[in-house]
Amino acid sequence: MRAILGLLFVLPASASLLQAQTDYYAGLGVTLGTALVQDRIVEGIEVRQGLAPTLTLGAGLPITPRYRAGLEAALTSSGYHSKENGGETDLGTLRTGSIVLGLDGPIVSTVRWRAGVGLLTYWPSEEQGIFLRGGTTRFLAGAGVDYRRPIMSKWDLMASLRYDFHRFTTGELRARGFGQNQGVQRISAWLGLARGTQ
Amino acid sequence: MKLLRNVPILLVLIAATGGLSCADIASPTRSDLYEWRRIVPTGPGSADTLSFHWPRSRLPVRIWAQDTLSMVADVRSGIDRWEAAFLYGEFEAVVVSDSNTADVVVRAGSAAKGGFSVVRLESALAPECDGGTDFELPAGSTQLTLPIRVFVNPRFDPASPGVAECMALTTTHELGHAIGIFAHSPNTTDIMFGDPTVSSLSNRDRATAEVAYHIEPTLTPGPR
Repeated sequence: MRAILGLLFVLPASASLLQAQTDYYAGLGVTLGTALVQDRIVEGIEVRQGLAPTLTLGAGLPITPRYRAGLEAALTSSGYHSKENGGETDLGTLRTGSIVLGLDGPIVSTVRWRAGVGLLTYWPSEEQGIFLRGGTTRFLAGAGVDYRRPIMSKWDLMASLRYDFHRFTTGELRARGFGQNQGVQRISAWLGLARGTQ
Repeated sequence: MKLLRNVPILLVLIAATGGLSCADIASPTRSDLYEWRRIVPTGPGSADTLSFHWPRSRLPVRIWAQDTLSMVADVRSGIDRWEAAFLYGEFEAVVVSDSNTADVVVRAGSAAKGGFSVVRLESALAPECDGGTDFELPAGSTQLTLPIRVFVNPRFDPASPGVAECMALTTTHELGHAIGIFAHSPNTTDIMFGDPTVSSLSNRDRATAEVAYHIEPTLTPGPR
């Protein structure tokens, strides 16, 4: 009973302490990636996602005086197309969602590095072509830098640059006999607002 | 000093993730194919190769199906099967309600049209039904006159056992001709075998259709 009462006192206090130390941010930007598929049927064919508007949301918590651990989620949506012999074919809309668990630390007072691992899911608008058997979820590793500049007492302007890497394939590509996976590198840049401790 | 202490960590992480990106996806060979072009003798020792596929500018192909038996459903199912053969949007078709606007017309019954300009791809099919696809190619022209006409004919009472299945697989087979596979496969497990018994496309059917759509055809579709 004493333990329960103790917890009842400690938990809200801990929660409010965590809340005070938690750093939140959100931003809008764009993501650009390398080819999802490189194939050859007489001529070379490439499937690529277009420049994708990106919404990023994240939160971090200090784990030492210098470093923080955090979760970052990003959503992108854009068209994707195949390219062959200079011609392009629109293949529909492709959305991605990623969640990355990472660490960040200081480089200089206003700039921090960030690195993490997570999962990336592809949601095609239609189950056809390379996505005939549906979307796919892949492991993701990434790194980046954040720049923050205070603009109000509790709010910072935040500019971020991210690089991430994953290996792409789908159930349909595997069923068709494609070997290995395609290494996909993405770069995203976004601008947003952060609230909390820097 | 802070900068110098942290930059190496960042560089190591970037190099580690970037270093994983060396190997790329490996395409399947697509070497297990059958001849899809039609070789037409033009004289002693000479022949002409007829090949066709729908150009991207003409997609989606408009297909009209006679509303009888299960013809419309069979055509939709055939379209789905052939669309699924392609990875990069090479072929797309829709069912239209007016035969006057159709690129391909599918009817139940025996082939009614024939003559000098018609290349008929007939299939001696299962005993329950048969089918054929007519392409009209005016002499000396490389432009097909549209619509392409497909016939699927039940040989017995449509309610008889096996007729519905035969009509469905024959419709998919004839649509295979209409998308540009002008020849029959020598393999019994392919939908494009002359006397098909399977209802879905084999890997060989898919690979043949994919390659056919990436090689410049000798024929083009005329206006509609």
